[in-house]
Amino acid sequence: MTLKPFLIRYARQFGTLFGLVLLCIALWIATPYFLTSSNLLNIMEQSAINALIAVGMTFIIISGGIDLSVGSLVAFTGVVLAGFLHDGWPWPLAVACGLVAGLGCGIVNGLLVTLGRLPPFIATLGTMSVARGAALLYTDGRPSSGFDSGFRSLATGQVLHIPAPAVIMLVVYVLGHFVLTRTKFGRYTYAIGGNEEAALLSGVRVRLYKTLIYGAGGLLSALAAVLLTARLNSAQPIAGINYELDAIAATVIGGTSLLGGQGTMGGTLVGALIMGVLRNGLNLLGVSSFVQQVVIGAVIILAVLVDVLFKPKKK
Amino acid sequence: MFLRLFPCLALLALGLAACNRHAPESTAKSGSPTIALVVKTLNNPFFIDMQAGAEAETKRLGVNLLVQAAEREIDVERQMQIVENLIERHVDALCIAPSGSREIVPVIVKANRAGIPVLIIDTRADEKALAAAGGRIAAFIGSDNYDGGRIAGAFVAERLGGSGAVAVLEGIPGHETGDARLRGFREAIAAAPGIHIVASQPANWERDQGFNVCQNILQAHPDVKALFACSDLMALGAVEAIAAAHRTGQILVVGFDALPEARAAIKQGTMAATVAQFPQKMGELAVANAVKALKGEAIPASIPVPIQLVK
Repeated sequence: MTLKPFLIRYARQFGTLFGLVLLCIALWIATPYFLTSSNLLNIMEQSAINALIAVGMTFIIISGGIDLSVGSLVAFTGVVLAGFLHDGWPWPLAVACGLVAGLGCGIVNGLLVTLGRLPPFIATLGTMSVARGAALLYTDGRPSSGFDSGFRSLATGQVLHIPAPAVIMLVVYVLGHFVLTRTKFGRYTYAIGGNEEAALLSGVRVRLYKTLIYGAGGLLSALAAVLLTARLNSAQPIAGINYELDAIAATVIGGTSLLGGQGTMGGTLVGALIMGVLRNGLNLLGVSSFVQQVVIGAVIILAVLVDVLFKPKKK
Repeated sequence: MFLRLFPCLALLALGLAACNRHAPESTAKSGSPTIALVVKTLNNPFFIDMQAGAEAETKRLGVNLLVQAAEREIDVERQMQIVENLIERHVDALCIAPSGSREIVPVIVKANRAGIPVLIIDTRADEKALAAAGGRIAAFIGSDNYDGGRIAGAFVAERLGGSGAVAVLEGIPGHETGDARLRGFREAIAAAPGIHIVASQPANWERDQGFNVCQNILQAHPDVKALFACSDLMALGAVEAIAAAHRTGQILVVGFDALPEARAAIKQGTMAATVAQFPQKMGELAVANAVKALKGEAIPASIPVPIQLVK
């Protein structure tokens, strides 16, 4: 590979990375509390939940879809998991069941889109409300809390001084990157998002793969729910409101095109970290929460604006 | 590409630096302690009053204050992140109005480990969960919401004169503040045998939902004589719904929080009463006691703030 195509291919991704580095430098100058190892680990820990949901979102958006139900799925799988834990199941089994529940919900999304032929926006808008309602029904609206320390170590534990959520996040990103770039599943994800009809005509089982892609989205939401529940020591039926928007934002900041067919896992990780660093930095600086919302919105617009304005035009 | 991207990001960096300049900490004395006040949200007048009280007290005592809040009142995870970030910021004391009674516990433990005293305001941290996690707080500052609910219930029972149907607008289910108000109200109503709660529905602390839920309740139970809302915002929504049904003055509306708008409604006669808490006082007491704790002075574990019926 010569240098030039390499640069063009990765320019967007490195542009985002460059933005993250610049942001960090700005915060390092602005506050002495930012660039400490404990704060950087703190940011990784805080970004993990959004970053995990964004992995699924990246697959879905690359395939040309969208999933608005992920936040509600976090709440639903969280309370289901809490139910299993409170029934006295060993925590690894309860976690496995929670993940399967998430996978199942994701597959339902996929089937609505493929067999039901609903636009993904509508299908997942519906399941967003269904899952939220189901979570509230299941718990009677009340949070369910108090879990054993083995389960909680998923959020409070450390591996080589790195918080467990950060480790899980990094492992999932490596896996996600591998699946997206080195497997049939990943190549088909791009193919479906790039041109669904062409993918179908070249023999890709589009319905099957699309369903699986939404399944992956559900699975990763469930994984995020496991971390959230362990972190708060509580599962709330009202958890995860607006998480879908954060995940979409991380994905889009990371350079994934909402039109489908383009995007990278590394970009999404950087996108999620930019959001985490911004929120952390603005807290450290004591900026009002109203200004924070303005700044985060501006960054999303800026990132996509850069994408639209400077992307080499396709002929 | 990089060259084009650079100016945008440089602007952002400059913006951040500018934010820093306007931060209150840089204008105050650098030697004095910094106290962080983390409330549930800053788009509720209750917490804005609390912030005002805290600000006045910090000015008086010559300490620094940082006020932070999540965008949404119920966002427990975001509140946890904010407190974690403030621990990284090495603030000297934390005053927190918890978004979740149990969900706040893990981060109290983190603050304990960092040696930062924690004062809890308004909504109690769950005592069992706190004890199980081995966490400790320096003090709780707040009103007894249960008592407030009881006062409201007794008022409704007295004004109805012993019989009638009552409707209730609840806050978000599982929210300690709302649950305590409800428990108090229900207990007072249960003591009056002729009075029954015919409908009790959540309107999630929101004004527009208060309107809609009240409208639905009026359809289902036209005989309702009194309505208790666990917050004034919901009560004010209900007042509009009652007006839309041309029944203003026929239904006794009682709220909670004594927002200025609710006090005005009581003067106009569209609302009957509201329960006043004193958030400004809570903010003042939080800062004053945090400063005392930092000086090593003993402070009481529970600092009550009065509560009263406004009619």
